[in-house]
Amino acid sequence: MSFTDSIPGTHPRAIKLILVLVSITVVLSLLYAVQHYAGGPIRLAVVSRVQSLALSPDNSLIAAPANDGEIYLWNAQEGWSPTRLSGHRRSVVGVAFTPDSKTMISAGRDGQIHLWDVGSRDMKKTIDADAPVNDLSLSADGTVAGAVCEDGRILIIDVASGNVAQSIGPDPNTGLAVAVNRDGTLVAADYGDGIRIWDTQTGDLVRALSSYCEDATSETQDACDAADEDWLGHEDQVTALAFSPDGTLLASGSEDTTIVFWEVETGEVKWPSIGHWASVTSLTFHPDGRSMLSGGEDNKIRTWRIPGGKSTAIFEGHLSGVNGVAFGWGPDMILSGGADGTVRVWETANQKVTFIAWARKGLQPVWGDLLRTWMLVSGLVGLISLWGLWKLRPWGHLLALLLYVVGPIVVVGLPLLEVLIYPLSFIEQLSIAWPLLALLGWYGGIVVALMSQPVALSYEAADTAALSEQLMSSQRTRKVRSAIFIAAVWFLIMVVLYSVLRRFNLDVAFMRHYFSFIMAGAWMTLRISALSIALAVVLALLGALGRLSKNPVANGMSGFYISLIRGTPLLVQIYIWYLGLPRVNIVLPAQVAGTLALGVNYGAYMTEIFRAGIQAIGKGQYEAAEALGMSRTQLYRRIVLPQAFRIVIPPIGNQFIAMMKDSSLVSVMSIWELSYRAQKIGRQNFRSLETFMVAAAFYWILTVVFQFLQGQLEEYMARSERR
Amino acid sequence: MTEPIIKVRDLHKYFGPLHVIQGVDLDVTPGEVVVIIGPSGAGKSTFLRCLNFLEEPSAGTIEVDELEIDAQEPLRRQRHHIRELRKKAGMVFQQFNLFPHMTALENVIEAPLTVKRLSKKEATEKGEELLEWVGLSDKRDEYPSRLSGGQQQRVAIARALCMEPKIMLFDEPTSALDPELIAEVVEVMERLAGEGMTMVVVTHEIHFARDVSDRVILMADGGWAEIAPPEKLFTDPEEERTRQFLAHIL
Repeated sequence: MSFTDSIPGTHPRAIKLILVLVSITVVLSLLYAVQHYAGGPIRLAVVSRVQSLALSPDNSLIAAPANDGEIYLWNAQEGWSPTRLSGHRRSVVGVAFTPDSKTMISAGRDGQIHLWDVGSRDMKKTIDADAPVNDLSLSADGTVAGAVCEDGRILIIDVASGNVAQSIGPDPNTGLAVAVNRDGTLVAADYGDGIRIWDTQTGDLVRALSSYCEDATSETQDACDAADEDWLGHEDQVTALAFSPDGTLLASGSEDTTIVFWEVETGEVKWPSIGHWASVTSLTFHPDGRSMLSGGEDNKIRTWRIPGGKSTAIFEGHLSGVNGVAFGWGPDMILSGGADGTVRVWETANQKVTFIAWARKGLQPVWGDLLRTWMLVSGLVGLISLWGLWKLRPWGHLLALLLYVVGPIVVVGLPLLEVLIYPLSFIEQLSIAWPLLALLGWYGGIVVALMSQPVALSYEAADTAALSEQLMSSQRTRKVRSAIFIAAVWFLIMVVLYSVLRRFNLDVAFMRHYFSFIMAGAWMTLRISALSIALAVVLALLGALGRLSKNPVANGMSGFYISLIRGTPLLVQIYIWYLGLPRVNIVLPAQVAGTLALGVNYGAYMTEIFRAGIQAIGKGQYEAAEALGMSRTQLYRRIVLPQAFRIVIPPIGNQFIAMMKDSSLVSVMSIWELSYRAQKIGRQNFRSLETFMVAAAFYWILTVVFQFLQGQLEEYMARSERR
Repeated sequence: MTEPIIKVRDLHKYFGPLHVIQGVDLDVTPGEVVVIIGPSGAGKSTFLRCLNFLEEPSAGTIEVDELEIDAQEPLRRQRHHIRELRKKAGMVFQQFNLFPHMTALENVIEAPLTVKRLSKKEATEKGEELLEWVGLSDKRDEYPSRLSGGQQQRVAIARALCMEPKIMLFDEPTSALDPELIAEVVEVMERLAGEGMTMVVVTHEIHFARDVSDRVILMADGGWAEIAPPEKLFTDPEEERTRQFLAHIL
């Protein structure tokens, strides 16, 4: 039995569509599996997030503590299969080597601080911190370690004896980042958006580096008083700290994306700088004190020149946040470890990765195995189910459905979850494109299959009632389907647009920084536009009535108004309002003048809209109203204008949307709306492209919102025409 | 003989050089139903529309319920009189001309509210009563676009009646209707006639003319060709023009 004969009407086409889509996904799966077996670019494995990174001073060992409680160790000279040190029960947050490379110290979220013998890989000593440790720092001479705990205590550890020498705190303001200076005399820790420095011997507060002097307590008042009023500090939580090797500088990174270099002696800001595009996670000075490395949540590594505090290079490649950075064993080499589970070796000359090592248990990429197996199996099962569908075996359909519902969730969904947490990086990864494509085809297939299911399943008993039911639902599904496709098109265009915009090399941190400043202009834009459109509506109504009137005065006035205003450019009119009125001693606030200029201008254009709207009302309406004894005024107020308004609402909406954008012209009056703010900040910082991009985004958002509202309004107004 | 409620004297209407109505007279007594028939272009509608000054007559006088307006005087100066006259004369149009932005009930009570300044409550009561009378109380909140032609015309009749007019003018009320919808409108008009309303009806509905009217006027070439009771005019017309017309339509 051939299925096309057995199903009446339009059904064969629907089933053919399913068959085509299923075939596509099957082919994709098989291709994917084959490509994977051939050693393609996809490398998905269960990897652990690297939380920090350290290179032993004798350049023999790279240590990368990870969130699975393991410390992964690579022999830097020989090979890239990691050995593991197991000892922590939870995420390991920090690791450091003593200068002789004989001892390693590590701290974890399980509240343990371990001292390891590097040679034998044995645990020498364990210190119980009583609370999860969030950061660890070792003095350059290897004598003193500092650990900051989640409960706000800072533990000072004497490395030689392995005892807690001093405990500072607890203080609820601290607990994220810690740094110990070269000789272990000072310890610095985050203190909200500021930093405090204590003496490790006595535990006394030495200095408070704070952004806000009004927050100062009595003990920090002196430091605060001494501070220059003009300095810039952090605006958000400090997340990373490091002392320079000579102990004169302290570098701090913050969630506000900035990095600040402080002078330890005075507590003043030496060089403030825009750091990363997201929270700064790690900082490391070069032993010679001439440069520094920073890693951020933006997946990037930056190098900094000391003195000056200027960024010299950016290293891109990590798929998620960079949690640890270190200078390598060669002069042109740096190391990084990230939450994507990789440790990367970079060449500074060309900013390229020369090697990637994976922090994972075992040698095989676990997910890769599962994935390729699943892909192969699903391809084969898909073939079988296709055959079943073709032969009209019901189990073929069910098998196909099962496969296409469960498959992608297991196979693509889980690895995608990993990637989607860092959405910025996932588009860059071409290797993800394959499963994405498969996913698209798969779900497209499911959507169509589920929608057509009643059609497809009706081949056994097709009665007329069910058929008409199907026709009804197929109309619905067609709507849904086209909505899905439209959304997909939008999404694709946005992806393309995004990739083009990336080429602009925009300073995202800068944009983010001034985002709210520019956003404040949206309100002004909206207000000016709303007031102007209100004025324009009134003027347009009067103008239209004048145009339609037989009274020569009214007609002449409105004719002249339209002619003059439409005959001159809006920008020129704005200047005339702005510069002309003061000459006759009328000094209006800029906003009022701006609103007048826009309102008068749009009123002239909208006059024609209103005239058309009024003229669209049929003669019968006038006659009916007159025959009922209505006066001229009543006729217009009750019958003609309400109907005319309904006709002109869509064009008024258009005008309003146009107005929102034309309102940018009043920026020449120094009104603080979107464009003016963007222009001002952009010029000050030579970042006009960035600020105008932000402004453009706001204009777009406003427009989209109003288009939606306009649609709602039109639907409401059209209620009397609905049949 | 009772005093006529409509008195038309020597009514003329020019459209430019075109002499559309060439000096007609008409008296209609209260409660009388007058039907005007005739070939198209005869000036029937124009005559009817002159009665409430939707068309401005070129000359002549029109008196409705003792309110006389002389078309010779500038009409602009008499516009208050014209409005008064229009309140006395309800009109029903060929194209219904309901207000599309108002529901059926709102259409009916619009003029009582704005022109007569009735309270909302009073007007609504009255409007609902009239909608009930034309058999559309279940459609009170529907917009005209959702009503059939016949239903729209019945709402239009209710709308005119809600102003409590002394006379009713019908301008081809059934011409724009599908044949199966004509009956429901004619039925309402018959009831209205039965309740003693003075009506002037321009129509092609010969049945209505024959069954309901008291007098039928055959209008041709801008004047009355023949005025007679229906039974006489339709069976035994005196004028040759009438016979021609009847031969055409019957």
